[in-house]
Amino acid sequence: MRSRIDDWSKWVLWIAIYSCLNSYSLNAICADFTFTAIPDQDTAGLQERFGKIADYLAKELKVPVKYIPVKSYSASVQAFKNNEVQLAWFGGLSGVQARLAVMHSKAIAQGKEDPNFITYFIANTNTGLSFTECFPFNIVDKTFTFGAKGSTSGRLMPEYFIQKALGKPPREVFKRVGFSGDHSKTLALVQSGSYQVGVINYKVWQKAVSAGQVDPKRLQVIWRTPSYPDYNWTIRGDVDRTYGQGFSQAVQQALIQLKAPEILNSFPRSSFISADNEMYQPILETAIELGIIRQ
Amino acid sequence: MKSDKLQNPLLFDLVDERADYQNKVALKRITLKIRQGEKIALMGPSGAGKTTLLRLLYERSQLPLNGYQNVLNEVAYVDQHYALVSQLSVLHNVYMGRLDRNSTFFNLRNLIRPQKTVLTEIELILTDLNMEQQINQTTGTLSGGQKQRTAIARAMYKGGNLLLADEPISSIDVQQAGAILDLLCQNAETIVMSLHNVDFAMKYAQRIIGLRQGEILFDQPTPHVTLTMLDTLYNP
Amino acid sequence: MLRTSLIFVVIALLSLPFADLEITTSHPWTELGQIALGAIQPDLSALWQLKTALLNTVVFAFCGTSIGVVLGAGLAFGFSWAPIRLFCVFIRSIHEIFWAFLFLNIVGLNPICGVLSIAIPYAGIFAKVYAEIVQESDKQPLVGIPTGTGVISRFIYGVLPVIYADAKHYTTYRFECALRSSAILGFIGLPTLGYHLETAFREGTYQTAWALLYAFYLLIASLKYWLKPRLTPFYVVGAFTLLSREVTVSWANVLRFFTVDILPWPMRRVGVWSGTNHIDFSLVPVLEWIKDILITEGVEGVWNTLILTQIVLAGTGFFALLVFPFTCRHFSRWPMRPISQYVLVVLRTTPEYLLAYVFVQLWGPSMIPAVWAILLHNGAILAFLTSNNADRLQAQIDRPLRYIDRYFYEVLPRIYGQFLAFLFYRWEVIIRESAILGVLGIYTLGFYIDSAIVDHQLDKATLLILLTGTLNMSIDAVSQRVRRRLQISTKLFVLD
Repeated sequence: MRSRIDDWSKWVLWIAIYSCLNSYSLNAICADFTFTAIPDQDTAGLQERFGKIADYLAKELKVPVKYIPVKSYSASVQAFKNNEVQLAWFGGLSGVQARLAVMHSKAIAQGKEDPNFITYFIANTNTGLSFTECFPFNIVDKTFTFGAKGSTSGRLMPEYFIQKALGKPPREVFKRVGFSGDHSKTLALVQSGSYQVGVINYKVWQKAVSAGQVDPKRLQVIWRTPSYPDYNWTIRGDVDRTYGQGFSQAVQQALIQLKAPEILNSFPRSSFISADNEMYQPILETAIELGIIRQ
Repeated sequence: MKSDKLQNPLLFDLVDERADYQNKVALKRITLKIRQGEKIALMGPSGAGKTTLLRLLYERSQLPLNGYQNVLNEVAYVDQHYALVSQLSVLHNVYMGRLDRNSTFFNLRNLIRPQKTVLTEIELILTDLNMEQQINQTTGTLSGGQKQRTAIARAMYKGGNLLLADEPISSIDVQQAGAILDLLCQNAETIVMSLHNVDFAMKYAQRIIGLRQGEILFDQPTPHVTLTMLDTLYNP
Repeated sequence: MLRTSLIFVVIALLSLPFADLEITTSHPWTELGQIALGAIQPDLSALWQLKTALLNTVVFAFCGTSIGVVLGAGLAFGFSWAPIRLFCVFIRSIHEIFWAFLFLNIVGLNPICGVLSIAIPYAGIFAKVYAEIVQESDKQPLVGIPTGTGVISRFIYGVLPVIYADAKHYTTYRFECALRSSAILGFIGLPTLGYHLETAFREGTYQTAWALLYAFYLLIASLKYWLKPRLTPFYVVGAFTLLSREVTVSWANVLRFFTVDILPWPMRRVGVWSGTNHIDFSLVPVLEWIKDILITEGVEGVWNTLILTQIVLAGTGFFALLVFPFTCRHFSRWPMRPISQYVLVVLRTTPEYLLAYVFVQLWGPSMIPAVWAILLHNGAILAFLTSNNADRLQAQIDRPLRYIDRYFYEVLPRIYGQFLAFLFYRWEVIIRESAILGVLGIYTLGFYIDSAIVDHQLDKATLLILLTGTLNMSIDAVSQRVRRRLQISTKLFVLD
């Protein structure tokens, strides 16, 4: 019995030594071009769906490409900042934050719909609110939900318009303010009456309407915000040094030429067009005004 | 006999000592000389201070400046509560007697897999004590007598020239107790032990110290101790 | 004791009007029905796709626990030294999720983040518990060890075997907790079970959610069959091997976190906007900045956290006192007793964070979901312990026949002291959980910490996390004082 324990400990030691060597060699060759993306809805099975883009990019760029899934906008900014990913599909706000955190990084592409993005204010019909062209001042003292805290269409822009119209931050305007976490949830919460009013990305709204998830007897759009720039592909400035001259341009080309509908649908966008940092200046200014980005 | 003793080196020389135990005076006015080679029995009712005296002697023997270091290279102590690690085997408990003589690495290795040399030596001692069957048993599962014999085995394994034993045969039946005391007397040059059994004290000790309420009532060579003297210890 | 209990009940009652206890959903039942449907028809095929997540959950738990054990054991040696004790209180006062928030920024979205987030608070807990076990262990064996023995030999022969059983028992229990923590870390993006659980609950794919939950229950229920001391070294080595495949740490990121990210904003402001990265060391703006955050967000966060904690504390006590008779042999027998026992096991196995998440989906983000989630989880543990204690009481032959008499005359008076001691032990746990549930949209400290993280204001997040730690430490100190004054002790093993 004694000798058995001795044998066991010998094995444990060997495995330990082996694993140390193993990990060392594996770490040395870890330089895949990595990207991340979170769609604004339907976040299940990301790895499978976005794996296809990784394959596409690998073919076009002739380097190994890896996709890593993240849970939130802030996590994708962190990964970008930490150089765990070199390319990311950001919201307007998270893109600005990422480019502030990583010097020389640049927005290279955006969805065809993104230069003129819109947020819808939606309300449960039991509030009696109905559609207006100008800002719906009668939402005061209702219960209200944003989407995710770090979202452009679900938080930043609606908060900006509320503050501009009413001159007060949302927590002083509404009876209760929540953050649903994402657009689909906002829709569900307002439809069920948990919140009377909410804000939602117009792409998500359109998709939900066509999928029959919206009951017009219970849920209604009450206001459309003015348009603003939103989602974008942002790449780190140091990729040309790592992967060769002209690499970021090659990535931009590959994205713009992307035609496969099953890939574009994951975002969901009809196609990608080129973009630059300058386009997102309004977002930066708005974020500063709201104190989300500090001055 | 007396002149022989005088030639032997002095191990302890206590003059008017006192010792406290749990904030109560357990020993007072203790004056006592112990020389190498003596076999001494401590007698007295429970609470008389036997254990405290043995502990006092042990502590003194461990002081770096006791002046007798050349003589007292190793002191073994048999605790009346055995002081065993009940989760470890008899073998390991016995081995603990020599923890201080081996390197930490050796001790650690021996805990995982007992070394041959250690095993043979301990087996020998356990055979003397009729305990060889239990060598791999954890001490928590032993009977009282077996536990006590394990504690004795540890003291014997530790060896050295002074043995302090607190009721070493209290849980062992009379038939075996004699054999064990024989073994102990062969093993250790100098012995101080507390005993309850008068016959054993008379047989194995050359000198008997009678204690009562923390004081030495008498301190005589065994032939001078009478039953009346012993009686006064228990029935004042 | 009775007076103290009453004081706490009164505090809880006084807290109620300040708490936001509105149910904001108007149709929670449709959603609830779909959840129930998912429970009956779990999509077990999803499990095969998510096997890596299951594996990661176990791997993080093994690595986190083993590092925690090693560090904790080391710290336990110095536990009598006050600075070490304080350090341990501090590291365990910060919840795993908060640690993960910080580590995500230091080491990135990387297994190391999960492992360290578990290992660090657990090291503090292990240090405390190991030190307590040693303190209360049998000291007799040390008498038999020769004086000149080295410290290590002395420990491995005289102390380790004596405490081994207790330490093993506790470490096993902690491993179970680590599995829970590991699963939960997925909610903030680590690749464990929680990652997919969160997605499934958010997207409303309850069949997948239940499949994952069942897998998790099975994992924990089967622990006793595969978690053997003999096999543990293999598991640990295996776990570290798997882990090491993906670990890369960028020292530049670590350095940036400590030298830039957590510096108070006033020190960095000019440098950031001018692009020079200049750091300004003037103290006054920094103090202003701290004061500002503490007044605007700190005060409200602490207030809400405390309100929630005190309500939950009293609620947990009531729940346990109400429920324990159903699992206690003096009041309950087959089939009631085993059924209640299973219910309690499920309640305490389900991570409170997950319960709260589901309740928020059902009832909207008021304090109600948080109250019920923490209360059910802790109440189940407390009921289990209380019932165990009561089971040990000898039933007298002439005991009262009516259960209600038996409860108030025979059982309750005898176990009440231990019950209170357990409850106050859980106080510290409850406040930690109250703070963390803010991440789900209840305005406790966690809400503000989460917001700061989302806005990439790590300096602010760190300050608020420190505030949370301080609050937890104060509660710990008060709880200790109350227990000492009442002279109550659990004596038995404390399930922390």
